[in-house]
Amino acid sequence: MMNIVLSRDTLNLVHQLQRMTGENVMLCYQCKKCTLGCPSAYRMRMKPHELMRAIQLGQEEEIYWSGTIWICLSCETCNTRCPQGINILRVIDGLRERSKEVNYYNPYPVIPAFHRIFLSLVERFGRIYELGLAVLINLRMLSPFKDMDMAYPMFIRGKMKPLPHRSQGVKELQQVMERIRKLEESKLEN
Amino acid sequence: MRYAYYPGCSLSSSGIEFHLSFQYVARALGIELVEVKDWVCCGASSAHATSHLLSIALPVLNLSHAEKEGFDRLIAPCLACLSRFKAANVEMKSNDPLRKKIHELFDYPYQGKVRVYHPLEVFLELGLDQIRARVKKKLKGLRVACYYGCVLTRPPKIAQFDDVENPQSMDSIIQALGGETIDWSYKTECCGVSMTLTFSDIVLKLSNEILREAKEGGASAIIVCCPLCQANLDGRQRQIEETYHARYGLPILYITQIMGLSFGAYPKEVGLEKLITSPKEVLGPLGLM
Repeated sequence: MMNIVLSRDTLNLVHQLQRMTGENVMLCYQCKKCTLGCPSAYRMRMKPHELMRAIQLGQEEEIYWSGTIWICLSCETCNTRCPQGINILRVIDGLRERSKEVNYYNPYPVIPAFHRIFLSLVERFGRIYELGLAVLINLRMLSPFKDMDMAYPMFIRGKMKPLPHRSQGVKELQQVMERIRKLEESKLEN
Repeated sequence: MRYAYYPGCSLSSSGIEFHLSFQYVARALGIELVEVKDWVCCGASSAHATSHLLSIALPVLNLSHAEKEGFDRLIAPCLACLSRFKAANVEMKSNDPLRKKIHELFDYPYQGKVRVYHPLEVFLELGLDQIRARVKKKLKGLRVACYYGCVLTRPPKIAQFDDVENPQSMDSIIQALGGETIDWSYKTECCGVSMTLTFSDIVLKLSNEILREAKEGGASAIIVCCPLCQANLDGRQRQIEETYHARYGLPILYITQIMGLSFGAYPKEVGLEKLITSPKEVLGPLGLM
């Protein structure tokens, strides 16, 4: 059993997430509809309804340790079915965004690494370069030949381009991404 | 009717046959598609897991290109793109502080005038009669499962299309073409595609359930409307069969491919040869290819 000490600070996480996402996690009354509909709950150590409870109790470290936010597939089933109308995915996205600022253990670092690689390719070419993304993430996972059996038939059918395509709009995109980065860095410093 | 067309990254590579077949069907139905100038990636699921501001900014960048060119309607066939575009439009309308922030990022302030559509929405708006009128070959004897994927109808507040748990739009089109559809409970279950390059075990499990249910329901093919579902169910089918000791052999066709064939297209015109599980055994005997 985990001992939880309730104090004035317990609600800090709830308030911070509400400021970030506009969602009020305190509305959750543990009906478990989110968990029952969740396609990847079977793989989560902390189920979606437990995640909501953990937020209410301010158990931030446990939340990040469980890695639940990185096993979520973003399929929006929980949002759709929540009787309290909580946008649970938006809350999870808030926690994902926050993970860049807090320094807790993450059992699945490969997922945020995937997002970083994805966005760096987008910033470079303006569009996603599928082969490059697959190769880079395979290297990151130390399994360079993963899914070769899937890639080959796609390759010979011309469904996977060997070289990236650069969008004409990439300059404007880079400018916008640079501005966002500056904005978010200045927010962190304050 | 003129539409701005946002193919997205998938339709230029792994989903190329969706692009080809949609172009064919659009021509047949008199839908004019103009590709968005200098479009860039919408950020899909990586942007919203990283920064909310970025996840709205990327779709807005593309929407503003369409708006500048005078379009008020945009078609995004990929469901990942579609849901990001719709979410961006809702946020730009309802979230004032965010709208201000976004406007500061761009030289052109997006006014939120571009409505976003999936091809299915456009087809249904045209009406089933228009579709029926163009049928040259009926899909007689074809029994399929329509798989809608996760975010075509979810969440209903943003998607605003079809029934959220039991959608019917594709079923009604297949029926208009003379085919038969099965009733099954996996229409909107997630195939797990956002983990496809990382935790593939989740993807194999979820996709296996979809293939198994379709097969048990008596379908001889699955009809999809998203390039990510297709890449998963078709591209990984061999791996799934090996992992779960099953034999499915289900061709995964785009709704626009089957519409094109029914409108009299040659198999090559709708990119049938691009499919990994060949539809020959299913469509051949019916005279569709």
